[in-house]
Amino acid sequence: MTIASPEVSADTRKSGRYVYIASVILLCAWVIVPLYFLLINTLSSPEAVNSFPKSFVPDFDLGSLTFFANFAGMLSALKNSILVAGLTMIMSITIGAPAGYALSRFDFPGKGLFRFLILLTRAFPLPLLALPLAVMFIRTGLDDSIFGLALVHTTLAIPFAVLITFSLFSGIPIELEEAAWTLGCNRLTAFQKVILPLVLPGITASAIFAFVISWNEVFAAAVLTIENRTLTAFLLQNLDTSPLHLKFAGGFILVVPALIFIFAVRKYLFAMWGIANR
Amino acid sequence: MSVNLKLMGAISGAAVLLSAVTAQAEVLFWSTQAKPVEEAQAMREQVLSGAGNVDYQPNDGGPWLTRLKAELQAGSGSIGVLGALHGDYSAMDPDDLVDLDGLGLSASGTFNSLAKLGTGKMQYIPWMQASYIMAANKKALPHLPKGANIDALTYDQLIAWGKNMMEATGEAKFGFPAGPKGLKHRFFQGYLYPSYTNGVVRTFASDDAVTAWEKMRELWAVTNPASTNFSFLQEQLLNGDAWVVFDHTSRVAQAFNDRPDDFIAFPAPAGPTGRGFMPVLAGVAIPRTAPDMDAAKALVQHMLKPETQIATLRATNFFPVVDVELPSDLPPAVQAAGNAVAKMSGSADANPGLLPAGLGAKGGEFSQLYTETFERIVLAGQDIRTVLDEHKIRLQAIMNESGAPCWAPDAPSNGPCPVE
Repeated sequence: MTIASPEVSADTRKSGRYVYIASVILLCAWVIVPLYFLLINTLSSPEAVNSFPKSFVPDFDLGSLTFFANFAGMLSALKNSILVAGLTMIMSITIGAPAGYALSRFDFPGKGLFRFLILLTRAFPLPLLALPLAVMFIRTGLDDSIFGLALVHTTLAIPFAVLITFSLFSGIPIELEEAAWTLGCNRLTAFQKVILPLVLPGITASAIFAFVISWNEVFAAAVLTIENRTLTAFLLQNLDTSPLHLKFAGGFILVVPALIFIFAVRKYLFAMWGIANR
Repeated sequence: MSVNLKLMGAISGAAVLLSAVTAQAEVLFWSTQAKPVEEAQAMREQVLSGAGNVDYQPNDGGPWLTRLKAELQAGSGSIGVLGALHGDYSAMDPDDLVDLDGLGLSASGTFNSLAKLGTGKMQYIPWMQASYIMAANKKALPHLPKGANIDALTYDQLIAWGKNMMEATGEAKFGFPAGPKGLKHRFFQGYLYPSYTNGVVRTFASDDAVTAWEKMRELWAVTNPASTNFSFLQEQLLNGDAWVVFDHTSRVAQAFNDRPDDFIAFPAPAGPTGRGFMPVLAGVAIPRTAPDMDAAKALVQHMLKPETQIATLRATNFFPVVDVELPSDLPPAVQAAGNAVAKMSGSADANPGLLPAGLGAKGGEFSQLYTETFERIVLAGQDIRTVLDEHKIRLQAIMNESGAPCWAPDAPSNGPCPVE
């Protein structure tokens, strides 16, 4: 192979840079353009929503949003959604993180089977599970409660919590812990002082995952809650038959709280990717 | 963290208890109808405002049925009143529904006997009705074939109309609800089959049925191919993707209400054996687990009052089932659809079909069979005779298992309706 002349390599570097910038723009557009269209159509009058071509600047018609502002029960549904998602987040981490730690640090009989079983909880479609669950919930009094729904969502989120934390703990060398033990820590304090700060960003990430899973879940929420409906159960199943402009506005309302939440915790997410890159 | 968890659990538990106490006085109206957010809002604010404390909750069919089944199995529940289509009730065990004799009747004897679900007593009370109609953008009218009367179209004229529009605009402008949530099966069961074969089940695989499917292929050739994504044709009417459409009255309503001067409604076309059309019937019922039976019965009676029926018409575009004097200031969609339905049922060649009855839990499978027949013959282009003969066996099995006798326009049968 001949050595490339300096100009050629500069050229290559330059075009490489273009490719890089183009892919960054493309990836950003991939995420942002749909959201932007959602926003435009939310802020447009019904006529503008149904017309084509679309304008890139919304006409700031608040009709669709005003409709939802007056829609009975929106605020309490929003509150319920946040409560359920919050509880799900807390419970799936309290249960999932220790399981992930145990999987990565200890060898015990049936470990492989255990990992498989955890994944298996996602193998059954919720519409199949919802009936027996609802019967049981009605009998035990958990029915129509935020805690009950959070339990179901936690079951859905735990596999992810366990597997994400498992790989996080596995990424941290046991030597760090052992060093802490020799320096006077016991297992608990070593975990607290050495491991926890390292995995906290990752745990946040899996918490976000749990939050989003709960936020997006419709079927169980629709069957298991009546008075205390979550926002998705309350809105989503009514949106698919609604006129287009209300679909957009409703979609916007469903997306925004989740976006705000993810935006608020984004630095923890990036911190986790930092670990992954090391 | 776990202390927090317990605390939150306790708080939410307390909140549940509190809300359960306040919820006692409320009647939960668990419905599959009036689901679109605007209709749900109108139901709450206008129809149910005078009915005391009612919580109106519209749902998808899946969660609706699952929740109901769960309450029936658990033996206690919170649902007070059910609102659903005839087909939803006919799939249920009549023992799970409270007998409602004496709470009200519709003006139609047919509806009242359907509502008994094969028992001797009213299992649900007819609540509201609708039908399927044709609607067109006025831009399509100049393309009507020569000599065609829009209020008395034939299927051949409809196909010719579609061709004319295609030649003039370069696009197929007929819209058909063949989308995932579209009501295409009702077109085959209530419109195409009765119009061509004067039957639905008996004539499923007859030679006339072959002609009917040939016509359907011709119609599909001038149908917007994106129709396999269309489920609510009001959207396509409004955005211009379709100029002439067939759909449920409440699924074209928004077009008439938004731009009343741009669209017209007219009867479904006629075939060799008449102008087939099908009613849609919704009813209210009370599950045996209703927490407050008296309040639930009061709500059912409220739904049948003439003023409630008119308010329901305004809210949902479903028509009253009792005799009422319709006011003159109804929304454009209601007027347009009402006229079209009246012309359709009043036409000389009217051939009304009934809703499939007596199929019980097999109702979904029955409709699925017609949808599959459409997909295989029209979308996949398979041989009509082969497909009909194959599906004929499945249809007969469905009829035998459910034991359903024939319904109009099929000739009556003793025992399960035979596929001839």
